[in-house]
Amino acid sequence: MKILIVEDEAKTGDYLKQGLAEAGFTADLVRNGVDGMHEGLSGEHDLLILDVNLPGLDGWQVLKALRAAGRDLPVLFLTARDQVEDRVKGLELGADDYLVKPFAFSELLARVRTLLRRDRIREVRMLALADLELDVLKRRATRAGKRIDLTAKEFALLELFLRRQGEVLSRSFIASQVWDMNFDSDTNVVEVAIRRLRAKIDEDFAPKLIHTLRGMGYVMDIR
Amino acid sequence: MASWRHSITLRLSLAFALLATLVFAALGVYLGRSADAHMAELDAHELLGKLVLVRNVGARENSPEALAARLGDALVGEHGVMVAVDGEKGAIFRWPADGSAARLTSATGSVGETPVRLALDGRDFRVVAGSVHTTWGAPVRAVVARDIRHHTDFLDELQRDFWLALAAAALLTMVVGIAVARRGMQPVREIATAAGRISAGQLAERIPEANVPPELAELVSAFNAMLGRLEESFQRLSDFSADLAHELRTPLHALRMQTEVSLIKPRDSDEYRDLLASNLEEYERLSRMIADMLLLAKAEHGLVIPHRETLGLTDLCRQLVDYYGILAEHLQLGLDGENLAIRGDRLMLQRAIGNLLVNAIHHTPPTGRVTLAVRRRDGMAEIVVGNSGPQIPAEALRTIFERFVRADQGGEGSGLGLAIARSIVVAHGGGIAASSSGQLTKFVITLPLAD
Repeated sequence: MKILIVEDEAKTGDYLKQGLAEAGFTADLVRNGVDGMHEGLSGEHDLLILDVNLPGLDGWQVLKALRAAGRDLPVLFLTARDQVEDRVKGLELGADDYLVKPFAFSELLARVRTLLRRDRIREVRMLALADLELDVLKRRATRAGKRIDLTAKEFALLELFLRRQGEVLSRSFIASQVWDMNFDSDTNVVEVAIRRLRAKIDEDFAPKLIHTLRGMGYVMDIR
Repeated sequence: MASWRHSITLRLSLAFALLATLVFAALGVYLGRSADAHMAELDAHELLGKLVLVRNVGARENSPEALAARLGDALVGEHGVMVAVDGEKGAIFRWPADGSAARLTSATGSVGETPVRLALDGRDFRVVAGSVHTTWGAPVRAVVARDIRHHTDFLDELQRDFWLALAAAALLTMVVGIAVARRGMQPVREIATAAGRISAGQLAERIPEANVPPELAELVSAFNAMLGRLEESFQRLSDFSADLAHELRTPLHALRMQTEVSLIKPRDSDEYRDLLASNLEEYERLSRMIADMLLLAKAEHGLVIPHRETLGLTDLCRQLVDYYGILAEHLQLGLDGENLAIRGDRLMLQRAIGNLLVNAIHHTPPTGRVTLAVRRRDGMAEIVVGNSGPQIPAEALRTIFERFVRADQGGEGSGLGLAIARSIVVAHGGGIAASSSGQLTKFVITLPLAD
């Protein structure tokens, strides 16, 4: 999966590139709108991460040019201004998602994965990791063959983790996906919810499946 | 003054001077005319008197010679008067006898008993003529003329004096006008001076309203009101900056200490990881605070514009109870009421109501109760967040929606939650209020219903 990053702010660009590379993507970084447009038109990328505020050609112009040329790769735009008009404008111009700076890198990663996955969503009935199994249709969870009772939200949370195995999920991403709470709040709701889920699926079992990455979020995998 | 063309003083005094000149001139013209008419009347009286004299003499004397002699006697001492009496056979009498009255008869052929002005030998006369019955035969014609140079000279002089006086008066009016206008403008200059003293550092200064003329009172009070508003927002702004600096300094200081201490000696990678993670948490808090402050700053300037859609309030609240209820497992958390429809920004309202809910949950002891109710009241939708936590003192209630005000000193949270809730509600055209008694603390959001 090849990702093009157009970002003029040096540090942000470099770390975006490094982070994406370490997450297993190939990332190209250009630092201005003109290069961004040329690279974007080359057609060799699967996703574009586009800063709106660029010298020369701004993000909107790049996006417009790409869409006008028939390039339909998913575009995630980054904006420093949290204004409704900005969001609306970006989405109207054909962007697929946006993030407001400053954002958590794990949040970006989650969005990137969602965008890249968008066109190949398969309906999976069974989700599993180690001896944890989830029957999505029957809404039933078992670990080591033992039935585990989950509330609706706990089930949704576990389903999210299983669908995103190995990915770091930030708290705000989890809140948005499971509870549809789309704003950053400094409460520890997600923490508490995960503690409870752990008590049900991890406490009495090995290996542990849900791991905390301090300051980043949570990840489900076998370590 | 920068431009005399726009000077009120100049315009006022010019207007005064012009008006005075016009009035004086009209008066002068009128007086001149009456003097002229009066002189003419006097002349006519005298001329007709002389004509009557000639007629009286004519009726009494029985020969032209006797008439002439008698008239000559009667006119002794008269200056500026000419009399000519002519019979069929020529001149009977001429006065004065020096011959200056010689051409009088020939020049006044058509003159009757109505006085006529006439120039004769370069002098101005007023003339009457009439026939005189005589005892000796046919009537004779008498012409009486009066030299009116005295009168015209007088009138000319009068006029000249008058115009001089007029010019002087106009000038005087203008000078006095300027003085009066300048004096009248004095309060304006005082206002300007007072305004000049006011700078960003002295916004508390006001223009004294005590001795201001009524015409300027409105201006001054409007100006002072403007200063009041400026002072208030300036104060808010500097409070804001001070608050912001203070609130940002605390976490920055912690970050710095932590990082510095960690760098004092080499540590293993787990410790570094811990440090970075802890820093990350602080960064997150900082950026959340900045975002919140930005939202508040924008709200203060009416720049928070809700992205409105039709929302069911109970649906919205249920979602919030689902979410925050996780923090309140030990509490009784209830939601009731009808699902009123409003038009609002889902994200913002989630946040506003959520903030109230979190607050309520945090401030309620484990055995307590938190309730969320939606109801209709006075044509508005009301969302009531109640909790059985400790009473909030009235003093604290008053400022509870201000930013960085924490009802419990040193409490957790940024101190921005309620301020944000209020901003959001206000941006939606609604209101927010808090009340607290021993048993129940209530926060009430009022929002307009969707029509």
